[in-house]
Amino acid sequence: MVAASSVEIRAVDKFYGPFHALRGIDLSIPPGKVTCLIGPSGSGKSTLLRCINFLEPYDAGEIRIDGQLIGYRSPGGARMPARELRAMRRSIGMVFQQFNLWPHMTALGNVAEGLQRVRGLARAEAEARATEALAKVGLGDRMSNHPSRLSGGQQQRVAIARAIAMEPKLMLFDEPTSALDPELVGEVLAVMKALASEGMTMVVVTHEMGFAAHVADRVAFMEKGELVAVDAPGRILHQPQDARIQAFLRTYHERNSF
Amino acid sequence: MDPQILVQYGPMLLRGFGLTILCWLLGTVLGMALGLVIALAQRYGPKPLRWLLQVYVEVIRGTPFLVQLFVLYYGGPMIGLRLDALPAGILGLTLYGSPYFAEIFRSGFRGVAAGQIEAARAIGMSEPAIVRRILLPLGLVSALPALVNFSIILTKETVILSIITVPELMYQVQRMSTETFRFLEANLVLALFFWGLVETISRFGRRIEAGVTRHLTERP
Amino acid sequence: MFSLTAFLDGFGPLIMAARFTLLISVLGIGLGLVIGALICAAQLSPYPALRRFAAVWVSFLRGVPLLVQLLLVYYLLPVVGIDVPAMVAAVTTVGICASAYISEIWRGAIGALPPGQAESAAAIGMSPPDVWTRVILPQAIGLSLPALVNELILLVKASSLVSVVGILEITRSSQALAATTYRPLEAYVAAACVYLAINLCLAGLGRYLEHRMAI
Repeated sequence: MVAASSVEIRAVDKFYGPFHALRGIDLSIPPGKVTCLIGPSGSGKSTLLRCINFLEPYDAGEIRIDGQLIGYRSPGGARMPARELRAMRRSIGMVFQQFNLWPHMTALGNVAEGLQRVRGLARAEAEARATEALAKVGLGDRMSNHPSRLSGGQQQRVAIARAIAMEPKLMLFDEPTSALDPELVGEVLAVMKALASEGMTMVVVTHEMGFAAHVADRVAFMEKGELVAVDAPGRILHQPQDARIQAFLRTYHERNSF
Repeated sequence: MDPQILVQYGPMLLRGFGLTILCWLLGTVLGMALGLVIALAQRYGPKPLRWLLQVYVEVIRGTPFLVQLFVLYYGGPMIGLRLDALPAGILGLTLYGSPYFAEIFRSGFRGVAAGQIEAARAIGMSEPAIVRRILLPLGLVSALPALVNFSIILTKETVILSIITVPELMYQVQRMSTETFRFLEANLVLALFFWGLVETISRFGRRIEAGVTRHLTERP
Repeated sequence: MFSLTAFLDGFGPLIMAARFTLLISVLGIGLGLVIGALICAAQLSPYPALRRFAAVWVSFLRGVPLLVQLLLVYYLLPVVGIDVPAMVAAVTTVGICASAYISEIWRGAIGALPPGQAESAAAIGMSPPDVWTRVILPQAIGLSLPALVNELILLVKASSLVSVVGILEITRSSQALAATTYRPLEAYVAAACVYLAINLCLAGLGRYLEHRMAI
């Protein structure tokens, strides 16, 4: 069992200039559970995710991780000093749609980098832990490959290893399989599933309804910056009450059944 | 061309060539170093500094190299800057090249995908570490072709130093031709020499680029 | 110390001399555009001999410093028996040197056009000359305008070198000014300002064109 964080999102608003990207979001992310964010493009799912580790600043409301406010010293107050923000980010792992592996380092190098630079481990120990993390995602034999020599699915798994090597208590996934060829999606979802079964708190923005249906503990539907509904996957995906969710799932089924 | 002339002037020409290479190397290395500092300062520095540096870049890029040398070498003494021709030439080359190198580095930094830097931030890396481990290596490699290109351009600019009496190759060739009256042949050989030099460095440069960027191109 | 009066007085003669700087630059780029077009055509032609010639042309003119080219022409012309004013020789040299860079600019612009452009024209049965003049060239010229303005800026700066063959453009004038006033710093800084003014205007023109191109 891994130590798991909880996230409280209260009345969060975000603006891009005049555009109201997040409208009064209230959401609780329980510890050790998988929460999936689904919804049409432009609904604000990724924006909300990126606010959780303050890669995007939010303009109103609070986001607390294990009770600690992130990004600001006090609600509506001054920004948090960079050093404290970095310290909070060390316990949060993030996996991006475009993998964002560093091309000039090997897989091992990518995973060990954070351990050396951020956690301050000696090189040998960093590499030892990196090796473990890579083995865990099934890439023990590809450690000395550069990202350019790895398939998309392998790169994303390295990205996941890079995040879990830091021993986070919360993992954020921003459309982790959207940039992958369909046949490579499965290997990444399998790794995410294994992570979930270990009791990691996960927030996943995804279009993979199968994953949401089978692995998520809760599914949140967003549209146009609003949180429309949060519920168990069975109810949201199979018995949606709201017309907006029904419309979204209908176009999804049209595109994905054959 | 009379081989005797070559023998007689050989050492002089060789010294000139040596000085050309010295000026080029120092000017390129120092110019690149200064350019890198400027590029980083323009990215991370306070606003007044960035503004000042932008003015510097615009002035150097908007005026001819020859005029810059004149200001340094002939105008300098009037504000207390008394340099010999050679140091003035190297300083001039450094100052001249620095804004071009700075723009090349800035371009290289912009070329580093934002996602790479975000991933480093998401892990909690400090800004200096991000610059050292991600921005600089990737930015430098991305900038390499343009850096090589401009270094080659600088080899050609070294001949302008002869006008402020730096005894590099062109200066020596001019001296030789005034003594032997073979102006045409001398300049023709000089032309062919530079042509060969530039071609050779260009090819060499392309091979280095290919080697260094191996990891950054997608597998075919 | 820096004398403001000497500095400001210098602008009179230097701006007069700027006429020659502009004349050389504009005529130079005009010549460069024409020759550059021919060289570009040669590089893209199906005849290996033409391509070889064009490649050597570009390689030589980009590999030899302009100063050396100027002196080469300066010493070459009397030997060959051509007696032209220094101005003509200078403009010709600058123009020929520019043609190598311009030809590369156009090659790049044409290469940057999606192949679909020529293909769609051919698909509706357009003749090759028409494809060139109606589809390829107009677009290529548009694409290359910012780079050509940049080239003009480079030529304005390069024109300072023709001072060594005695033409009274800005740089030569500033040298004369320095000699007569014994104030080299003010003279050369004034010269720098005149060049800067010209180039900032050109750079503004370039940005305007890029803005128009981006539509």
